[in-house]
Amino acid sequence: MDLERFRERFGDKVKIDKNILTLADKKDLIRVVKFVSKYFDVLYMLIVVHRPPKFELNYIFSRYQDQEIIQIKVEISDKENIASISNIFKSAEWEEREAYDMFGIVFRDHPDLRRILLPEDWPGHPMRKDFVVTEEIKHWTGLDLKF
Amino acid sequence: MGEIELNIGPVHPATHGVLRLKARVEKDTVLGGDVEIGYLHRAMEKIAEQRLFNSFFPNVDKLEYVSALNWEILYASVLEKALGIDIPPRAKYIRVILAEIQRIMSHLIFIGAFGQDLGNITVFTWALRERELLMDIVEKISGGRLAPMYLRVGGTEYDLPEGFDSMILPVLDRLEEKVNKDYKAVTYENSLFKMRTKGVGVLTRDTVKKYGITGPNMRASGIERDLRRSEPYFVYDSLDFDIPVEDAGDSYARFMVRIREIQESIKILRQAVRALPKGNYINKQPWMFKIPPTEAFVRQECPRGEGAMFLVTDGGMKAYRLKIRSPSFYTVQAMPEIIKGARVADLFTIIASLDPVMGEVDR
Repeated sequence: MDLERFRERFGDKVKIDKNILTLADKKDLIRVVKFVSKYFDVLYMLIVVHRPPKFELNYIFSRYQDQEIIQIKVEISDKENIASISNIFKSAEWEEREAYDMFGIVFRDHPDLRRILLPEDWPGHPMRKDFVVTEEIKHWTGLDLKF
Repeated sequence: MGEIELNIGPVHPATHGVLRLKARVEKDTVLGGDVEIGYLHRAMEKIAEQRLFNSFFPNVDKLEYVSALNWEILYASVLEKALGIDIPPRAKYIRVILAEIQRIMSHLIFIGAFGQDLGNITVFTWALRERELLMDIVEKISGGRLAPMYLRVGGTEYDLPEGFDSMILPVLDRLEEKVNKDYKAVTYENSLFKMRTKGVGVLTRDTVKKYGITGPNMRASGIERDLRRSEPYFVYDSLDFDIPVEDAGDSYARFMVRIREIQESIKILRQAVRALPKGNYINKQPWMFKIPPTEAFVRQECPRGEGAMFLVTDGGMKAYRLKIRSPSFYTVQAMPEIIKGARVADLFTIIASLDPVMGEVDR
């Protein structure tokens, strides 16, 4: 797929390197993703990388007729929230729930943002780099059991 | 009688692991439902950040315990891509052989479990019997059965045992005969089997595209796509095989796609064993190594769909972030839509026909 279309449409708001699009501002995410949805069928993966004090979100989109993929990279501060894309790509719904569960990222306008893999009352978000294993968590996971 | 909520699982023999399904039911019809996962969450992605690259191989085995070798190959490939190293031709062939053996074993488990959910215990015992033959071969190759731990960065831990072709070729002949004759009689040519599966749990093309379902479930809905063909890795481009596609999208189509995939895998195995080159089987790397800061994305065709791994490194001896894309995760997400309108008695056969493995979903 010709990525020049993105350059024409969004100008210097996106930086293009092979098939990786880096967004300068997270506010453009919905506009860019809507444009992506014209050419791609599905959100293939959502990879969150915590580089304190920032979150790097990598959205990978794929389509069924060929092997083309596109990666959209956007950075947010680890205290900010970001718009949900689950009303554009349905498969984002669970991926975003997982990102919320593991990193504590709040996705605005998500239809059902709650924990997916961990129990509802789990303390904290374990995939964050600043996550510390407290006494409470040791108790949860059974690490304080003596045999 | 009004609408009632029917809770199934998380521990139930027919949900193939620890899947919890809350179905809304009126009389005998399923109106909708909600799926809950996470009961088998073992924090694999977090563990990956705390272990040396090589020390994560045993965990990959337990990530997806029905097709461990495919995921080991995927993990080894993503490390190799991040390191930028190539593997010897013999290692490529060995990996293709392992991937196809594991694919057959995984599909045999599917056939057995599906038969059991239909009340057909015969095919369950038969499928496990045939799987045992392949299991023996995996044991002879690697020393392990469910969790072989055979792959290494750059190749494999050992070479294939001597006389490997005389070990596997008779097994393939026997397997082919069983699948084409015996299994046919009790499953896909059996009228009871057809009644329970044809037109049941239809997965439309739109649903597939909406949720990102891949693998045999997708091919049973009439989309021809297989990474082994369209994005050939290892030596798949030099092997001759077909991609089974069915149009109906029901349980029967999903079963047939897997039966035909077994036949194709047998074909691939015969060619790969014949063409297996001599020489080095590993591009040896040190046990502990560092990977410079990079991002590597690799996807391969696993028995349940397209598995992918995204590795982010920071120059250390451990992964900075490893994200695992499990194909079953997306299939399970679509489950409420697939079971809508089904009969309660068909609920379990629909779940079984989608072949989810919860170890992979929950990670």
